[in-house]
Amino acid sequence: MSGHLPMETFDANARAALLDRTLNGALKRATDRFAGQRRAAIDAMPEWEAMRERAREIKAEVLADLDRYLEDFSAKAEAAGARVHWARDGDEACRLIAGIARDANGRRLVKSKSMTTEEIGLNRYMAEAARNGEEPVETDLGEWIIQLAGEVPSHIIAPAIHKTKEQIADLFVEKLVVEEGTGDIEALTAAARRVLRRHFAEADVGISGVNFAVAETGTVLVLENEGNARMCTTLPSVHVAVMGIEKLLPRFADLEVFLRLLPRSGTGQHLTSYQSLITGPKRSPDGEGPDEVHVVLLDNGRSAMLRERVTRQSLACIRCGACLNACPVYQQIGGHAYGSVYPGPIGAVITPQLAGLEKAAKLPFASSLCGACRDVCPVKIDIPELLLHLRSEIKSGKGLPHARDVSAGARSERIAFRLWSWTMRSPLRYRAAAACARLLARIGIGIPGAGAWRAGRELRPFARRSFRSRWESRGR
Amino acid sequence: MRVSLFVTCLVDQLWPAVGEATADVLERAGCEVLFDARQTCCGQPAYNAGHRVEARAVARHFLDVYEGVDAIVVPSGSCAAMTHHMAELFEDERDRERARSIAARTHDLASFLVHTLGAPDLGARFDGRVTWHDACHGLRELGLRAEPRRLLASVRGLELVEAQRSESCCGFGGTFSVKYPEISVAMVDRKLEELAELGVDAIVSGDASCLMQIGGRLARTGGGARAMHLAEVLAGR
Amino acid sequence: MNAREEILGRVRANLAGVAPAPRSASTDEPGRPADLEDPARCVTRFRELLESVGGRVTIVRSEDEAREVLARRVRELGATRVVVSDAPAAGRLVGTLSGARVLASTADRAELLGAEVGVTSAQWGIAETGTLVLLSDHERSRLASLLPAVHVALLDARCILPTLGAALAAVHDGSLAGRTVTFVTGPSRTADIELTLVVGVHGPRELDVLLLDAP
Repeated sequence: MSGHLPMETFDANARAALLDRTLNGALKRATDRFAGQRRAAIDAMPEWEAMRERAREIKAEVLADLDRYLEDFSAKAEAAGARVHWARDGDEACRLIAGIARDANGRRLVKSKSMTTEEIGLNRYMAEAARNGEEPVETDLGEWIIQLAGEVPSHIIAPAIHKTKEQIADLFVEKLVVEEGTGDIEALTAAARRVLRRHFAEADVGISGVNFAVAETGTVLVLENEGNARMCTTLPSVHVAVMGIEKLLPRFADLEVFLRLLPRSGTGQHLTSYQSLITGPKRSPDGEGPDEVHVVLLDNGRSAMLRERVTRQSLACIRCGACLNACPVYQQIGGHAYGSVYPGPIGAVITPQLAGLEKAAKLPFASSLCGACRDVCPVKIDIPELLLHLRSEIKSGKGLPHARDVSAGARSERIAFRLWSWTMRSPLRYRAAAACARLLARIGIGIPGAGAWRAGRELRPFARRSFRSRWESRGR
Repeated sequence: MRVSLFVTCLVDQLWPAVGEATADVLERAGCEVLFDARQTCCGQPAYNAGHRVEARAVARHFLDVYEGVDAIVVPSGSCAAMTHHMAELFEDERDRERARSIAARTHDLASFLVHTLGAPDLGARFDGRVTWHDACHGLRELGLRAEPRRLLASVRGLELVEAQRSESCCGFGGTFSVKYPEISVAMVDRKLEELAELGVDAIVSGDASCLMQIGGRLARTGGGARAMHLAEVLAGR
Repeated sequence: MNAREEILGRVRANLAGVAPAPRSASTDEPGRPADLEDPARCVTRFRELLESVGGRVTIVRSEDEAREVLARRVRELGATRVVVSDAPAAGRLVGTLSGARVLASTADRAELLGAEVGVTSAQWGIAETGTLVLLSDHERSRLASLLPAVHVALLDARCILPTLGAALAAVHDGSLAGRTVTFVTGPSRTADIELTLVVGVHGPRELDVLLLDAP
């Protein structure tokens, strides 16, 4: 994905993250808080499991027939006066959006939080490549903070969670948002409101993401707490809504179960402050809201994920962030280490599929397969199943040719497992290998991995006599 | 009843006492324990690492060894859970059927004691405070939660203390523990943070791999508690 | 082949051979609270939930009383500009306001951005979530409910629906084309800085619902 700064390898990032005590503390606080709030919210909901199943069902229904639902959606949206655009990949989406802005003589753009627009690298494209050359201003507080800082988000729900208030105050002073940085959170927020209000007032084009789109009616739904998405979709005369093709739901009534699931899963709220359900632009010129509503439908690798049942389920994701908060690996290393717009467990499975980056091949392996993510996913994506599937695809080189790990380390691992397998399927070779390993250990040569193990833990030595040897001499 | 003991490669080579304790416990519960010396491994390490062809060969050997056996008992939630993944490794429907059949006849120790044998009194005794670690595969794939606690509750002299983080992953995860050792250790440290506050004599689990991870870290950091397998506690007199 | 055809083509090709997913016939969405049959319970629940997220609910028995509450609030705030939507009921609320200039929501944008209070009505309430439902085709309330720091909303208690599902059905009455539906549940908020909750970000920092519950 083009939407972020160049990253070093996952391993280096993860190690750096573990050593960053500020980040580590912030991550633990954030994930504990969100997970705790989620827990409280769903404990109060005895039908939680039934709701998850319902949501899984609805998503399976729409994905199994996605072409039909896409056609329905675009017909309804266009009948309501929206312009629907189709983008095969991120670059095409950026070109389309830049074109829409250009056609509207839109020089000033504001945008609300949208991971899809980060996926396609919209801000950088607009700043560098578009003829107007003006970068859209992020208006979600966390996103604006990291835009000012030139960074990328570290968490789906709370993008600036890795920054202390003092760091933010310094940043605001540096970027002339405030004259003095006091680190008072209310004052910082008030300063942000003042500055961004000017941007809202002057913006020609508002760009938003889409949380859910309804095929039956051509409606897009944007949910939020801050009010910036309402600003972006009400004040400017042009609204561009950017969505992955998987965001569809079949019917308007289907919104009910997702509105119950998403806020609780993400932050424990029973509902966020605002939901805007938009079905085309206003009908009369003296109404409120934009004159033009555009919807950009983005593929960028999603259609390929439809092919197999095991990968299709990952398109059900509603971007709640619950899996991040539950993941014991994410809790330690945060979002930046993943080098992707989509971090954590869901990121580890969709990034290799969407981005095809060589670096992304590591992500499915950076997991202990504990399954906590599967437990919390509101749409019941079986992430461990996907991780195992991707691991197998990557190691065998099928299906993800660009991700096949051809390094020397990977080759020797392949040989090692072949040897292991040959040994383990014969009791005789197994016993011989164990005897060898026991001997080598006695002279200080450990099995592969012993060194890495010992860096932090004592390694249990081979028993002097194996269980089977002791069993045999018991005369049984 | 007759049960066939699959001790797991890890227990066989590194922790035979767990195997012996498992056999003791099953005998005390009235079973005749058989041990088929042809056994090796369930294939989990290769499967988890993405090497399915290699895992398949080892899984096939497992199926061959236990063909026709009524009950296989395993002192490991993750190895018992692995039998449920074996079917998907095979293309041939007959092999898949064999695998599904084996999975239905393979039981984690705690599950077997409670659900098949009705949690008989084992005459177990352990004087001390212990806390239970819910190993991930046993917990989430086999649904084991109440069973070990019930068994521990019947051990004379044992005081069971619940950890808030009992369900959090110890960080082993197979090759993950050596591919990402820093993250793995950070995970076990997070888990062990509350151990000192709980003041327990032992942390007990049903998976030797978790105990290697937890015990290995405790040995390095000098934590007071021991890492013990459920079988060892239940075999105690 | 254009992008639309290509994308749809890829989708169809990848779904070839995939059977349509079964769907349960039930229209009874799980999680729907069952105990909101009684309108009085709806009012109570609406109030509890909205107050739990920092909204204020004042029960008024008449439009006169609502007018008084609004006037008092405007005085307390020292507000100099009040934006009012085009709903007749909202217009009646601000009718006798003194001390503050009343602007229509069609006024100049700069004026609107400087107003301290916005007054609207709401078409529905949702008891399950403590939510106001604003419909753009019934009332021009998008700006008045968003730009000023204080949003005062008049809601008739008889319009409180029990559940999200009921509200979605009520809203989806005929075509939605050209209509924007806004659900408002409390004031604007963020916890983006160190997870510390701050109320009042880009949307209003205060939501005052005048709940008309005439005896």
